[in-house]
Amino acid sequence: MTMTAFPYYEDGALEALNAQATVLLNLFAGHGYGRAEPAVLQPASIFLDRSGEEIRRRTFTLTDPSGRELALRPDLTIPICRQAVMDGASFPARISYNGLVFRHQPGEPHRPTQFFQAGVELLGLEDRARGDSEILTIAIAALRAAGLMDFSLRIGDLALFNALVDALDLPAGWRGRLKRHFWRPGYVESLLYWLGHGDGATRLPKSRAEIESLLDAQGDAPPAGRSRQDIISRALERAAEAASLKLDTRVADAIAQMLDISGPADIALAKIMALLQTAGINLDPQLAALEARLKTLAGLGIAPSQVQFTAHFGRNMEYYTGFVFEFWARDKEGAVQIAGGGRYDNMMEMLGAKRPVSAIGCAIRTERVLAARLQTEKAGAV
Amino acid sequence: MLSLAIPSKGRLKDNCHAWFAARGVTMEQTAGARGYRASVVGFPDIEVMLLSAGEIAASLLAGDIHLGITGEDLLREEAPELEGRMHLIQPLGFGFADVVVAVSNYWIDVTSMADLDDVSAAYAATHRRRLRVATKYAQLTRQFFAQARISDYRIVPSAGATEGAPAAGTAEVIVDITTTGATLRDNGLKVLEDGVILKSQAQLAASLTAEWDAGARAACAALLAQLGADYAALAAQLPA
Repeated sequence: MTMTAFPYYEDGALEALNAQATVLLNLFAGHGYGRAEPAVLQPASIFLDRSGEEIRRRTFTLTDPSGRELALRPDLTIPICRQAVMDGASFPARISYNGLVFRHQPGEPHRPTQFFQAGVELLGLEDRARGDSEILTIAIAALRAAGLMDFSLRIGDLALFNALVDALDLPAGWRGRLKRHFWRPGYVESLLYWLGHGDGATRLPKSRAEIESLLDAQGDAPPAGRSRQDIISRALERAAEAASLKLDTRVADAIAQMLDISGPADIALAKIMALLQTAGINLDPQLAALEARLKTLAGLGIAPSQVQFTAHFGRNMEYYTGFVFEFWARDKEGAVQIAGGGRYDNMMEMLGAKRPVSAIGCAIRTERVLAARLQTEKAGAV
Repeated sequence: MLSLAIPSKGRLKDNCHAWFAARGVTMEQTAGARGYRASVVGFPDIEVMLLSAGEIAASLLAGDIHLGITGEDLLREEAPELEGRMHLIQPLGFGFADVVVAVSNYWIDVTSMADLDDVSAAYAATHRRRLRVATKYAQLTRQFFAQARISDYRIVPSAGATEGAPAAGTAEVIVDITTTGATLRDNGLKVLEDGVILKSQAQLAASLTAEWDAGARAACAALLAQLGADYAALAAQLPA
């Protein structure tokens, strides 16, 4: 299939894709995953509320004749999670899917605006290590069942960074900022710089009385969605932050160095351990989780040296909260990502769940898997 | 023929005529055209259209006219990436206005975009919906907020009286145009320190997607020479 913004599926290509989808869905079913199919057209708000305005850059939105804003689903994860919340599903829930998703590709007009994704979502399994292992196992089994034996794996873990930030002696506001922006390349480094050099918040009122009188002086300015208490607490927090700032530059350096670690997982893990020991930070539970994943992979015939660990890898989408992974293969144009996924433990609550529900999933780019398989077969035949 | 669109009403129209007059160029109403057409004295190959400022931006982008005078805010909102679509020939020194991010004075703890980032994240976490930003500059807002690394917000399109949105409870934050800041102050709002998205003024702009035949190019070169504006930079971007 040639690269085009508007794919045209010929008879043969569609047959091959459907055959592959059947294999994948059967495999998912064998692991206890029942298929779901959310509507193609969804209320835009479920994506915008979850992912913010940023997602508009990648999503086709439209207005229906009654004025409601709709979106062509940019993924199936959010509609499936939302349905599970609305149905009051019992957990753990195991859901599979196969269908088209629609993405605007800003700055890359030759990329397809629609493509197929097959995947699984595992919702509400409290044993996260088991969940990680289950999803990795299914993802690898699925790629192999689709006939693809040659692929590489890249992993990361946002929880490692979050735990590192939590282990530091930092004001809460700064912890939140670092965690919130982890997924933005370069930005965390500049936050770390400010942390080491003061953040310029010195002109804020410092005492509660000062804050209260400043608020009283605002006349009839609108509260604009925030309570007096909310504003007082944050102003106090900022004042405390400004007073206590200046992260030890050695600690800031340790974070920056850790974010730089990238390489075969066994070597990367050893480097992280050494770095943490020098900085006197204990992240044993997170490192144990990482080791457990590597063990799962080894059991599936993938040695740690074949797994690429990238510490700053947080995926380019902001809903991930922990373990993340990407599978890569080659088609005739070069390296392509063929599958990806990870943990998004706060999505269900954002979509209205009354209590925290753990969640992890994986999506496979089936057209790319097919192309990569054909490429390997061709290379093998030569 | 070269087509030139100028604002059809208000202070922008008056300033526009004054700017041309100061450079020895006068416009004459075309008889029977109900005030929507004019001609330039001494330039028979130029057709002048009187349009609203918003229509001028849209027509330049669509390539329906060669030249137009309108606010830079409208041009940049209409075409976030100007390259290959429009060329700004010259700022005209009138129609000054800033497109700004403004919040309520009541938010005494918010003075910068970084503060707004904190507050929008906290708002999303506690309210389970996003902070709303009322504006008619959706494109400019999205671009600017992305640069400021803020994603926890929603845009609420606003057709007019944007400054009233926080008081009316239809949005928490606004992005709007301001000249003296008086309207914002009257509504209990303040501009964030690093919240100036664009310092806008009226621009003489050319469409790069219009049909530039030899006649249009010649007329444009002659007009810009008379106005003391640079034609070479525009010509370099037109197809050979």
